[in-house]
Amino acid sequence: MDLFNIPANELIQHLINGLTLGAIYSLIALGYTMVYGILKFINFAHGEILMLGTYSGYFLYYMLCDPTKGGSYVIIAFAVSLLFAMIISAILGITIERIAYKPLRKAPRLAPLLSAIGVSIILMNLASLMFGTKSKKFDYPFDNTPIHFGDASITPNQIMILVVGLIMMVSLKLFVDRSRLGKAMRATSENQAVAALMGINVNSIISLTFAIGSALAAVAGILIAMEFKVYPTMGQLAGLKAFIAAVVGGIGNITGAMVGGILLGLLETFGVVIIGIPQGLKDTIAFSVLIIILLVKPSGLLIKNRREKV
Amino acid sequence: MLDFILLIVIYIIIYSISSLGLNLIVGYTGMLSLCQAAFMGIGAYSTAVLMTAGHMDFWLALLSSGAIAALCGILIGIPTLRLRGDYLAIATLGFGEIVKNVILNWDSVTKGPMGINGIPGPSLFGYTFTSMEKLPWLFLLLFFLAATYMLIRVMIRSRVGRALEAIREDEIAASAMGINIAKYKVGVFTTGAFCGGLAGSFFAAYSQSVAPLTFDFMMSIMILCMVVLGGLGNSFATVIGTVLIVIASELPRLLGISHIIPAQMNQILFGFILVFMMIYRPQGIIGRIKLNYGKMMKDEILHMER
Amino acid sequence: MKRFTLLIMSVSLLFAFSCGKSGDKLKPGDTIKIGFLGPMTGDAGNYGKLMSQAVKIAVEEQNAAGGIEGHKIQLIVEDTEGKVEKANPAIEKLAGVDKVFGIVGSVFSSCSLAVAPKAEASKIVMISPSSTHKDLPGKGKYIFRDVMSDALQSTVFGKYLAQVEKVKKVAILYVKNDYSQGLALDFKTEFEKNGGTVVAVETALQGDKDFKTQLTKIKGTNPEALYVPNYVAEIAQILEQAKQLGIKVKIYSADGFSNPQIFELAGDLANGVIYTNAAERKASKGKVEFMKKYSSKWKENPDAFSLNAYDGAKLILAAIKKSVKKESDGSLSIDRAAIQKAVAVTKDYDGVSGNITFTAEGDLVANIGIYTVENKKYKQIKTFKLDGEKLVEIK
Repeated sequence: MDLFNIPANELIQHLINGLTLGAIYSLIALGYTMVYGILKFINFAHGEILMLGTYSGYFLYYMLCDPTKGGSYVIIAFAVSLLFAMIISAILGITIERIAYKPLRKAPRLAPLLSAIGVSIILMNLASLMFGTKSKKFDYPFDNTPIHFGDASITPNQIMILVVGLIMMVSLKLFVDRSRLGKAMRATSENQAVAALMGINVNSIISLTFAIGSALAAVAGILIAMEFKVYPTMGQLAGLKAFIAAVVGGIGNITGAMVGGILLGLLETFGVVIIGIPQGLKDTIAFSVLIIILLVKPSGLLIKNRREKV
Repeated sequence: MLDFILLIVIYIIIYSISSLGLNLIVGYTGMLSLCQAAFMGIGAYSTAVLMTAGHMDFWLALLSSGAIAALCGILIGIPTLRLRGDYLAIATLGFGEIVKNVILNWDSVTKGPMGINGIPGPSLFGYTFTSMEKLPWLFLLLFFLAATYMLIRVMIRSRVGRALEAIREDEIAASAMGINIAKYKVGVFTTGAFCGGLAGSFFAAYSQSVAPLTFDFMMSIMILCMVVLGGLGNSFATVIGTVLIVIASELPRLLGISHIIPAQMNQILFGFILVFMMIYRPQGIIGRIKLNYGKMMKDEILHMER
Repeated sequence: MKRFTLLIMSVSLLFAFSCGKSGDKLKPGDTIKIGFLGPMTGDAGNYGKLMSQAVKIAVEEQNAAGGIEGHKIQLIVEDTEGKVEKANPAIEKLAGVDKVFGIVGSVFSSCSLAVAPKAEASKIVMISPSSTHKDLPGKGKYIFRDVMSDALQSTVFGKYLAQVEKVKKVAILYVKNDYSQGLALDFKTEFEKNGGTVVAVETALQGDKDFKTQLTKIKGTNPEALYVPNYVAEIAQILEQAKQLGIKVKIYSADGFSNPQIFELAGDLANGVIYTNAAERKASKGKVEFMKKYSSKWKENPDAFSLNAYDGAKLILAAIKKSVKKESDGSLSIDRAAIQKAVAVTKDYDGVSGNITFTAEGDLVANIGIYTVENKKYKQIKTFKLDGEKLVEIK
C-alpha cells in the first residue's frame, strides 16, 4: 500500500519520528500550561529553566560516573542526577518568579511579558558564557540499541520519552484534580483575591506551581538531551514550539498540552513529507498552526470557547 | 577616529528610524511586536535584490522596500491583531523566524546563506554615496530621521493619536466609542513596518551587503530595548534610548577591547534592561511626554486590556 | 522640535572637528599596525581565539627581531562574532581608526566577502586563513587566502567518488550555511558531470538537531553513499540518527569533519567516514617548532587554521618590510601598493601550514588529501591534485 506515493514502511518511520518529536513538545508544554493556567502569562524563561536543569543534571551525572561503561551504578547515578536536576530547576523557577514576576503581578500585562523575555535572554547568554556553546553528549543510562520492526525502527530512549510524557500527564492531572493543593491551585487560577480570602496562601501556591512546572522541565530536558545533546539554546525554539502546542490543545489544560504536542509533532513531520513544505521552512508550520488556531478557536481544541468579559 | 564616531552616529540614525516605528506599535498602541528586525530584513533584502539583480535606482528601491515591508505588516497584521497581547508577541516572534528562514532558503532570489554583496551606493544629483564618505550619508539619513520623527509627531497629535491612546487604555471602551480598532491597529502596524523597511533599506545600502542571520530575534530585542529604555510612547525618548543602546554596543570596539568583551555581555545587558526597567521604571529613563489631555498614572502607562 | 535642532547642531559640531587624512607616514616611535579580524567571542569565538594567538606569535617574533626599521609592530584584534553586521564596523575601525597595513582575516567566508570591498578600497592586504568559499578570490587585488578553496575540494571529491571509488548513487544532506551549501552544490555539479546520480538533496537549518525526517526520506531513495559536508556538531547527530534508522551506506564528508570534537560527540560512529582536507606534508622543521612554541605559550594546541593564520601574518610582515622607505626627516613611509605586490608574487613560500603559492586571483594552490578514520584517529589514505580537468594522484 503506497499512500501519497510513499512506501508504507517509510510512512511508519515518519509516524514514529513525528510521534517522538510531538512527545518532546508535550513534555515541555506541560510546564508552560501549568504556569499559564495559574498566572495567565507566558513564562518565556521556561525553556531556559529546562536548559539549566539539564546542565546541572549533566554535570552531576558525569561527575558521579562514566556512563559509557554501563551497569547498575550508572543507573543509580542517573536517578540521583535526575532528582538533582529537578531540585535545581524548581529552586530556579521559584527564584525567578520571586525576583522578576512577583513585583509585576498587578502590573499591566505587557510588563511581566517583557520581564520574562529579559530573564530568558539573561539565562541563555549566561549559560553560553559559563558552559560554552558547544553541544555536550548525554549518554542514555540503559541499552539504547534501536528496535527494528520491518524497515522501521525506534530507540528505547524514544519509547521512554513517550511513556514518561504519558505518566507525567496523568499524574499531573490527578494531582491538580484530586489533591487539596491541586484544588488550591485551581482556586488561585480562578480568582486570586477570592482564593486568598478563602485562606489559601496565594504566594505559596504560585511558588509551588513554578516549582512543579520547572521540575517537570528538568525531566523533559534530560530526556531531550539524551536524544539531541545539551547546549545553551536547547530550550529556546523547543520551548516556543511547546508553547504553541499548549495553545493548540487549550492553554491551561493538561490533557490539551499532551494532545497539542503530539499533534504539532505529527503536523511538522507530515507537513514536510506529504505536503512538501521545504525542510528549511518547517518552523513555519508551527507558527501558522498557532495563528489559525487562535483565529478559529482561540481557547484551543480541548476547551470550550468563552467570550472575554470586560 | 572621527570616521568611526560618524559610523556610530549613522547606525544610531538608522536604528532610530526603525525604533521610532516600533515605538508607534509598542509604546503608543500597546501591542508587543517582536518582529521589528524582520521588517528591517525585508526592507534590506528588497533593496539588495532590487538594486543588484533588478538594477533599480536606490530611491525607487528605498520606496519599494518600505512598501514591501508595509505590505508584510498588513499581511501579518490582519490575522494577528485580533489576538490578545501575549499571543500577539508569540505570533510576531514566529513571523520573525519565518522571514529569516524564507530569506535563508529562497536561494534563487536571496542567495541563501551567502547573503548579497556589492550593493551599489545611492546617487543624488550626480553624487554617489559610498560608505567611505560618511558625512554625506549622515546628512541624508538625518533628513529621513527628521521626516520620520515629524510624521509620527503629526500622527500622534491628531485624531489618530487620540484613538490609539484610547485603544491602549481600554480596547472595549474605545470600541464602544465608535473607534474602529482593527483599522487603527493594522494602520499602526503598517506604519511601523514601513519605518522598519526604510531603516533596513538604508542598512543595506550603507553596509553594501546583507546577510540572512543579521535580522534575527536578538536584533528585534535590541530595538525593543531602545524603546523600553527611553520610555514607551515617547518618540524623543526612543531616540535617546537608541543612542544609548548603540553606543553601549559599540563602546568596546571604540575602546579597543572588543575582543575581550564576550559577545554575550551585550545580550545580557539587554535582558537586564528589560527586567530592571519593567520592575523599577516602567516609564523609561525619560518618561512619557504628557499629552494635552488625560491624566497619566504610572500603572496605566503600560495598560493593555486587563 | 527644539530637541531635534539640538541633535542636528551636535552632529554638525562633530563635522567641525573633521580633519584631513594623514598619509602613510610614521614618525619615529610610531608602531606599524596590522589587524586580525575574526570571531573572538560568541558561538564561534574559539576559532578566532586560536588563530589570533598564532598571529600574536608572528608579531612577537618580528618585534623580538627589532621590528621593522626600528618600528615595533602592533596587532589590533577586532571581534566580528562571526556576523556580517559586526564585521562591517570592525573593518571600518581597522581601516579608518587604526589604519592598518595588513589584515589576517576574516574567518568566515560571509564576513570576508562583506569586508573585501572595504579592504580593497582602503588598500589593505587581507589574507584569510579560513574563508574557503569559491567566490572570494577575484574580489580584489588586495584579497588573498592561504587556505584551500571549497571549489577545489568538492571538485576533486566529485571526480574521486565517480572515477576512483566508482560510486553511482549519492544522497546529500547539508546545512544551510555558507560553508556547507557551497560544498554540497559544487560537489553535486561535479559528480553529475562525471556520470554519477544524486538521488536526494536534503537540507537542514543551522542549529537543527533532528535530521530523522530527512534521513528517512533519504533511506527511501536507496543511495550507495551519503555526503554530509557539514560541521561536526551536525555530522555527529547525522551519524547517530542514520544508525538508529538502519542506514548502512558509506558516509563521506569534507574538511569540517577534521575537528577532533567529533570523537567526543559521535564516538565509534566516526570510524570509517571518508573525507577530504588539504593534503598534509611531512612535518617540516618550522612546523614542529611553531607547534611547540604555540602550545608552550598558550597551553593549548593550534588548529589547522592557526597555522594558516601564522603564515598569513608572516607574509604580511615580510611584505611590509620590503615596502618601507626611510625619509630624510627620519619618518618612515610605507607603500601600500608595494605590500600588495610583494604578497601577490609569493611562490613556494615554505610556511608552517605547507607550501604557499598564490594564483593570479590570490587563491592558494593546493593538493587535496583523502582521509579516513580508523580507531578514532585520522589517517590520510590518498593525495590528489587537479591538472586542468584531470584528477592526478600524487604517490
